[in-house]
Amino acid sequence: MYRYDEFDERFVRERVAQFGEQVKRRLDGSLTEDEFKPLRLKNGLYLQLHAYMLRVAIPYGTLSGRQLRQLAKIARDYDKGYGHFTTRQNIQFNWPKLKDVPAILDLLADVEMHAIQTSGNCIRNTTADQFSGVAADEVEDPRPTAELLRQWSSQHPEFVWLPRKFKIAVTGAEHDRAAIRVHDIGLRMRRNEAGEPGYEISVGGGLGRTPMIGKVIREFLPKDELLAYVEAIMRVYNAEGRRDNKFKARVKILVHETGTEEFTARVEEEYAKLDGPTVNAPLEEVERIAAYFAPPAYEDLPAESVTLGEARKADAGLDRFVEQNGFAHKQPGYIALTISLKPIGGVPGDMSADQMEAFADIAERYSLGELRVTHSQNLVLPYVKKDDLPALYAELKTHDLATANAGLVTDIIACPGLDYCALATAKSIPIAQEIAKTFADDARQKAIGELPIKISGCINACGHHHVGAIGILGLEKGGRENYQITVGGDATEHASLGERLGPGIDAEDVPGAIEALVETYLSEREGSESFIETVRRTGADPFKASFAGFIETRAAQEAAE
Amino acid sequence: MAKDHRAGSKVKGDKLPAIVMASDLLEGDTVFLAETGWTRDSKAARIAHDQESADAMEAEGKAAAAANAVVDPYLVPVEITEEGHPLARHFRDVMRQKGPSIHPDMGKQADFGPIA
Repeated sequence: MYRYDEFDERFVRERVAQFGEQVKRRLDGSLTEDEFKPLRLKNGLYLQLHAYMLRVAIPYGTLSGRQLRQLAKIARDYDKGYGHFTTRQNIQFNWPKLKDVPAILDLLADVEMHAIQTSGNCIRNTTADQFSGVAADEVEDPRPTAELLRQWSSQHPEFVWLPRKFKIAVTGAEHDRAAIRVHDIGLRMRRNEAGEPGYEISVGGGLGRTPMIGKVIREFLPKDELLAYVEAIMRVYNAEGRRDNKFKARVKILVHETGTEEFTARVEEEYAKLDGPTVNAPLEEVERIAAYFAPPAYEDLPAESVTLGEARKADAGLDRFVEQNGFAHKQPGYIALTISLKPIGGVPGDMSADQMEAFADIAERYSLGELRVTHSQNLVLPYVKKDDLPALYAELKTHDLATANAGLVTDIIACPGLDYCALATAKSIPIAQEIAKTFADDARQKAIGELPIKISGCINACGHHHVGAIGILGLEKGGRENYQITVGGDATEHASLGERLGPGIDAEDVPGAIEALVETYLSEREGSESFIETVRRTGADPFKASFAGFIETRAAQEAAE
Repeated sequence: MAKDHRAGSKVKGDKLPAIVMASDLLEGDTVFLAETGWTRDSKAARIAHDQESADAMEAEGKAAAAANAVVDPYLVPVEITEEGHPLARHFRDVMRQKGPSIHPDMGKQADFGPIA
């Protein structure tokens, strides 16, 4: 893992001290709320429905056991004993008190963490594939790139006051697990015909009220030119992005209104004017960063573990857990594991302080002290020896962390929604809980297979509903909560936006509607097609038909009551 | 700076009776304008039954925000329960008055018992 150097350390400490003074001035009345708000947002502190909320950055979703233990301490001492992992691979605390926030930031700084640039119109946390460095299908590890971008974008003087927030994601694998096509900039690491490393660069993806899939503006950029090229994109956006209308201020609108070709030409023009060598990181700095992400000292192991094989035969639960949550590792004898934070009826992404502490120990004993946060609000143990899996599984079970549902219908992304969020128009978490209960049966989940459901409690789409195979959007209609359903969304390399099936429905009808859609899939699917593959082949029509049928049946039932 | 929350109650039409709700500056939790000062128990909230009282209470709320005691005060239309307690009419205001629906053990519903 990357470790702070003296500059990182000093920068974070100075910001903590500065914010401490700002809080003091707010509390003694020298700063009004209007004056204080932009300052607190620069430090990740929001005011939500019931309390302040602190969003802590987790660079590209990578955490050490030591850091997770500190997050547990903060959750226990300054919150209500839990934290919430977000779709941006960050963590949020829902109940901090304003007077305690400087102390919390100090505790974070002790473990090389902070809340800077987790809010406001700046470049946010750069996210990456949760299996970076270990995925069998990886071309190149995206973490050194993400770390380089983190350092470059932290307090970059030119880009701290953009027209709107800006999100960058990087993947180094064939299969996109970082949803790069729905980010302001998406970077896909690849090699050209000569075998040289570089990036395919897409710009202008995003969700929210105007969802867009990013447009590729460079098929191949040599690796060492990254920062100058990204700087050129940022300059075009900073100069030309709209500042008159918040809802039209993201780069996706600029790309859309300018046209991809013209936007690309402007970036290339800006890029030609930049003095690349003064912007791009010097080779020794790139190498210094990359050294932190060198493969760990793996043991020389046979590809298959006899211990695990026998244990799987003896324990159906372990067998199912490995089958569903295991992920192919590039190193023989090792496996990466998704640790689901979606127990049936739980709150997606929530983790208790006790679980965090236990899991920090587990990561230290079984995964070289490291864990990852996924944009699906789960965790990953990246370096598990197959031989250790039976013992590890037993420990995970005792902490309720062995739910074998990674990628299944109950592994639902949900934003905090109206239970916490000041922007929300409808509840999100209770909808996820009810759907999960409806499909709780393991055999049924397995039969349905991979089915990403994503729920947002307002049009801002933190729950990524546009790119859910089934997407659910909660709105207010006539003084009630009302839910719109879409199918066909996809956040991977086949990125697509979901299509609405019909009118919105009441919260209590959502699980039934999802069941109707699942039944349609099961009757329409050919061979081993997943839900999204079937939708891609059939289009939305069969699903629209069954959705309309469901609504009709419900209306008849209500008329009879 | 972009607006980072939806201000005010979303109730349409007749807005009385009403109470005033805000966030406490220090703790960030929901507080209600009482007969004197602010309370965390909505049962003790002052209720405006006429427009004149509502306007006066709203002005009191704004003064408290200007004095840095609370943040974002606003009038919340309520109905009066059989016990005579105010209950917000809009589901978003109810969420603030009670606490998270997914955590009955947190928020005002935990501190002061069932709200209604």
